[in-house]
Amino acid sequence: MPENTLAAAAPSSALAKIRLSVWRRLTQLGMLAVLGQWSFYGVFRCPFIVPYVSCQNCPVITCHGRLLTMFWGFWLLLPLSALLVGRAFCGWACPGGLANQMLGKLAPLKLRTRNLFTRVAPWGALLAAAGCLYVWLAMGQPRTNIPIRVGEFFGAVRLTFEHADLFWLVRTFTVLGLVALGLVVANFWCRFACPTGGALEMLKRFSLFGFFMTSACNGCDKCLRVCEMGTRPAEKNCTNCGDCAGSCPQDAIRFGRKPS
Amino acid sequence: MNNADGTNCRRNFLKTMAGSAVALAGLGAPLPQARAAAYSQNLLQVWSCGGLAEAMNPANELFESRTGVRVSYTGAFAAALGKSLLGSSTTEVFAGRVLDLAKKLRQSGKMTSFKPLCFTSYVMVTPKGNPARIEKIEDMARPGVKVVLAPEASPPGGAAAINVLKKAGIHDAVMKNCVTLGSCVQRTMDDVISGKGDVSIVELRVTRIPQFSGRVDVVEFPEALFPPPPLTFTVGVMKHAKDPKLAGDYAEFLTSPEGQAFFERAGFIPAISDKGMALVEKLGVKDA
Repeated sequence: MPENTLAAAAPSSALAKIRLSVWRRLTQLGMLAVLGQWSFYGVFRCPFIVPYVSCQNCPVITCHGRLLTMFWGFWLLLPLSALLVGRAFCGWACPGGLANQMLGKLAPLKLRTRNLFTRVAPWGALLAAAGCLYVWLAMGQPRTNIPIRVGEFFGAVRLTFEHADLFWLVRTFTVLGLVALGLVVANFWCRFACPTGGALEMLKRFSLFGFFMTSACNGCDKCLRVCEMGTRPAEKNCTNCGDCAGSCPQDAIRFGRKPS
Repeated sequence: MNNADGTNCRRNFLKTMAGSAVALAGLGAPLPQARAAAYSQNLLQVWSCGGLAEAMNPANELFESRTGVRVSYTGAFAAALGKSLLGSSTTEVFAGRVLDLAKKLRQSGKMTSFKPLCFTSYVMVTPKGNPARIEKIEDMARPGVKVVLAPEASPPGGAAAINVLKKAGIHDAVMKNCVTLGSCVQRTMDDVISGKGDVSIVELRVTRIPQFSGRVDVVEFPEALFPPPPLTFTVGVMKHAKDPKLAGDYAEFLTSPEGQAFFERAGFIPAISDKGMALVEKLGVKDA
C-alpha cells in the first residue's frame, strides 16, 4: 500500500496540537468519571488478586464493576479498541494512565531516550500480563481478602488492608510501589509494568489505525522527546496519544492506516 | 413457612408491617429537621455483617429521611469487623452475626448493649423446575444427584452447609455426589442456576439477592438441622457512640416493625416475628 493512502497528516500547527491535547485530557477526564471508581476499587478494595475480571462473583456491591455491569462490555470493547486504534485506551481513556501521566509531570527522570533499558524494560508489562493470566486462569483467581461489601471511602480501604492476606498485600504494594516509581521515572507503570498495557501491546500489531512515521523521518527523535511514554509513533509503547503530532520538522508523522 | 419461597409467611408479616406503618403515619411522622434537632450529631457510623447489606441499605435510607441524620454504613464479614472492633477500631452501632461475638464485645466493654435483630435460615436450592426432584435433605445423597458445595467459602457459607449434612447423617454420601467443591457461595449459585449442579445448600437470604432472585427453586428442610452459631444477628450500641441516644434510636428503629420489614424482605427471620421470638428464647439471645 502506498505510504500516504488512507493517511492524514498529523496536525502540525501549534493550535491544532493544543486542540488535540485538550481533547485528550477532556476524554481522559470523562473516562475517569466512568471508570475511575472501578479502577480505584480494583487496586484498593478488590478482594481478588487479579482485579476487574471476577466482577460477576464479587460481593463488593458498591463497586461499579457490579453496579453498572460494565464487566462484559468493557472487556469486549477493550480488545476491539486495540484492533482498531492500538493502545489508544492507555493514552485516551485509562484512569490509571491519567494518574501516571500526572505523576510523570513531577518525575525528574523522563527517560525519553533509546537505550538498552528502554528497549528491554517494556517486556515487563508482557510478563505482568502473563502472570495475571496464570493467577486468574491456572490458579483459579484466589480471593485473598475480606470483601468490604459496603463501606466508607477511606474506612473501607483501611479495613481492606487490615484484613488482607499476604498474597494480596504483596500484589498491592508491588503495584503501588511501581506506580510510585513514576515519581522518579516518568510513566514507569504504564511503560514497563502494566499488564493491561502489555496485553494491548500484543494486540496493537494488528491494529488498523494509528500514528506512524513516513520514510521522510530522519531519526532526529524530536517526537521521542515530547512523548510521555518515551517512544516514537507506532513503536513499542506508543498509545496513539498524539502528543508527537506537530513535533516533526520533516512532517513525517501521519495518522491513519499504517503502511504495510 | 407454608411453602417453598415462604410467600404466605412473608405476606402475613408484611401485612402486619404495613398496618403498623399506616398506624405510625396516622400519628404524623416528624419532620427530619425536627428530629435531627433532637440529636447532638447529624452523622451516625454503622457497621454490620455484610450479609445484612441488602436489608441495611434501604433501612438506612428510611432512617436518614426520617431523622435528617446521615448514616455512614460499612458492611463486611462480621468476624473481621468484630476482630477490628475488639482491637483498635471503633464504630457507633454494630450489627453482627453470631451471638458470641456480641457477648465478647459486651464483656470487653466495647459495646454497651445489644438486642436481637434477626435470624438466618438455610434452604436447598435447585435449578428452576427442580430437574432432580429434590424434596428432602436425604435426596442430596441419592446416587446420580449432582451436588454443588463451597466448603472453602468464608464462614458461615461453607462450614454451615457441611454441618447441616453431618447433622442429617448424610455427609459422606453427599460428598461422593459433589461435582463442585468451591470457595465461593456466589459461584455455587451460578452452578445451580446454570444446571451444572442439581442442588446446593445456602442461606435463604442468598436467594433474595437481586442477581439470584427468581432464578432458582427453593426447597426447605427441618430447622433442627440448622447449625446454631451463625443463625443469630444482633444490633448493639457501641461505647464510642458520640450520641448514645441517636445510636439507641437507630437500633430501636431497626428492631421496630418498620425496620424489621426490610430484613424479612431480604430473606431473614425478623426478631420480632413469632418465629423470631421463639428463636430468641431457644438460642438465648439476651443481653444479660
